Amino acid sequence: MLSCRALRKSYVTERGEVLAVAGIDLEVEAGRYAAIIGRSGSGKSSLMAMVGGLSRPSDGTVVIDGTDIWGLSDDRLAAFRNGRIGFVFQFASLLPTLRLVDNVALPAMLGKRGDVDVYGKAATLLARMGLGDHLDAYPSECSAGEQRRAAIARALINDPVLLLADEPTSDLDEQTEIEIMDELLAVNRELGTTLVLVTHNLSLAEQAEQIVHIAGGVIAS
Amino acid sequence: MRWLLLSLALQNLGRRKARSLLLIAAVALGSGVVFTGAVLMQSIDRSMAVGFTRLGADMMVVPEGALTNITASLLAVEPSELVLDADVLAKARLASLGRIAAQKIVRVEHSGIGSHHDSADLIGFEPARDFTVQPWLVEKLNRPLQQGDVILGAARDGVLGSQLLIFGKPHVVYGRLGRTGVGTHERGVFMSFATLEALGEAIGGGMGGGHGAKPAVLAPGKVSGFLAELAPGATPLQARFAILSNVKGVKVVAGDTTLSGIRQGLAALLDGILALMVLMFISTALMVSVLFSAIVTERRAELGLLKAIGARRAQVLGVMVTEAMLATGIGGILGVVLGVLVMRLFERSLVYYLENVGVPFLWVDLPRTIAFAVGAIVLACAIGVAGVLYPAWRASRRDAYDLVRGGA
Repeated sequence: MLSCRALRKSYVTERGEVLAVAGIDLEVEAGRYAAIIGRSGSGKSSLMAMVGGLSRPSDGTVVIDGTDIWGLSDDRLAAFRNGRIGFVFQFASLLPTLRLVDNVALPAMLGKRGDVDVYGKAATLLARMGLGDHLDAYPSECSAGEQRRAAIARALINDPVLLLADEPTSDLDEQTEIEIMDELLAVNRELGTTLVLVTHNLSLAEQAEQIVHIAGGVIAS
Repeated sequence: MRWLLLSLALQNLGRRKARSLLLIAAVALGSGVVFTGAVLMQSIDRSMAVGFTRLGADMMVVPEGALTNITASLLAVEPSELVLDADVLAKARLASLGRIAAQKIVRVEHSGIGSHHDSADLIGFEPARDFTVQPWLVEKLNRPLQQGDVILGAARDGVLGSQLLIFGKPHVVYGRLGRTGVGTHERGVFMSFATLEALGEAIGGGMGGGHGAKPAVLAPGKVSGFLAELAPGATPLQARFAILSNVKGVKVVAGDTTLSGIRQGLAALLDGILALMVLMFISTALMVSVLFSAIVTERRAELGLLKAIGARRAQVLGVMVTEAMLATGIGGILGVVLGVLVMRLFERSLVYYLENVGVPFLWVDLPRTIAFAVGAIVLACAIGVAGVLYPAWRASRRDAYDLVRGGA
């Protein structure tokens, strides 16, 4: 389902070139829950950005469902991200000027999915996340946990085959962290969506079917 | 989707109210200046075209020995028996002269104009070349001047369109001149060369001598004198020297040089105002560009997020361009409203004063004013689009991850 080959990512800084990911091969089968763990600066977020089509690799390939995503044109890659990949970021990633229901509906609208009742689906997903009474609320009117759950709903609006979560609970309290992880795992199990979770929290990775430990830009184990 | 992007743009503007208001105010000022400036300059240009022609000629060329009234503010050829060839100035090809209008003047008595013993000046001019008589028309028939038509000076009575017998021949009162304060103009009866020449035999019979001899000036190819405008940049001294060096037997009478100076000075002033308007417009465009560059930098995480959830580059650009167009478009509309208010103020003060002292001010017609308003709004939007396009285009090319992380 997900296949990375010889992935490398380097950044040019004022002090010279920094190698964030130094050649990673990775395979994740469809429907699995994989956790990428590592310390801060180990390169796990850079790896996830390349896997998600957010950051062009310096070298190597990423194949998702048979598509070499970095071989696509810019617009086709955008369409691929929109339709096949869902993201949950480590920060409050909702647009502050839109209501929760607008935020959740936005990816479907960007993808021009005219065949779907976008707002109906957005409302259903928010209800599933326990936010059925927050449809018209703005992000600033919601708690951090509610915002994260709305971000999960948004990630699911286009029925992605791959859900990427980059430290989705890093700024949340323990109880909310558990609730968010429960939601992500439920999506993985009930919808069969492949889940790749990036975290430095080992306890969150315990339930993963596949754990990839990154250190110094390479797979340590 | 478009509505959502529009709503997103509107709400983004609302997020930073003070900044948005300042931006809108700056664009409103810029577009207001452009709109008001364009309308006023066009109006002033039109008014100048009439006003300056009303100032009359810069100089007069008459036969040597002819009497001239040098105290009048408006140059006017006086009746005389002396004549010049009608093509004498054209043949000399003088670069220091602009437009030239020839006139034939005959003073007649017992013509049927006015009371029995009144003398009257019949003044012939060429309608196509004239720039000293027709600008003074305050009322006229709604058709071009034709043979048999006469225009009455302000001191003459006559109803527009009515018949006026001159030496028993019927003529139609085509128009009436405004008050000029110059005797010849005030008392004159103006007509085309052809109309005046057609009266030749009758005038000969009515002249003081009673010999039936037609006045020399009524012969084809002869004129009483010329009224001339200076060519742009030429001085009265240069023109006088050029005329006297090239044409024999003439006298040159210069008008008030102040008027020529005003004519040339005002034209230069309008050019200067236009340059200032262009500079102000450019500075507004630069300021908007810098501001939007900062806005795009501030919002790159949001743009990165849009890219991450699948927005194409064109959509990312669209969000920013919509926002910029909204802000600057609102600014443009407010600028036009501001401009209309300023012009209303202008109309009630300076224009009112000018018209009271007899200086005409002709506003640009409504369709052109609307075109200027639309142009100013479109220009304001164009400033916004131009200002945001480059920073937004650069942002849209960057990796979504870099934008989301706010990396430099």
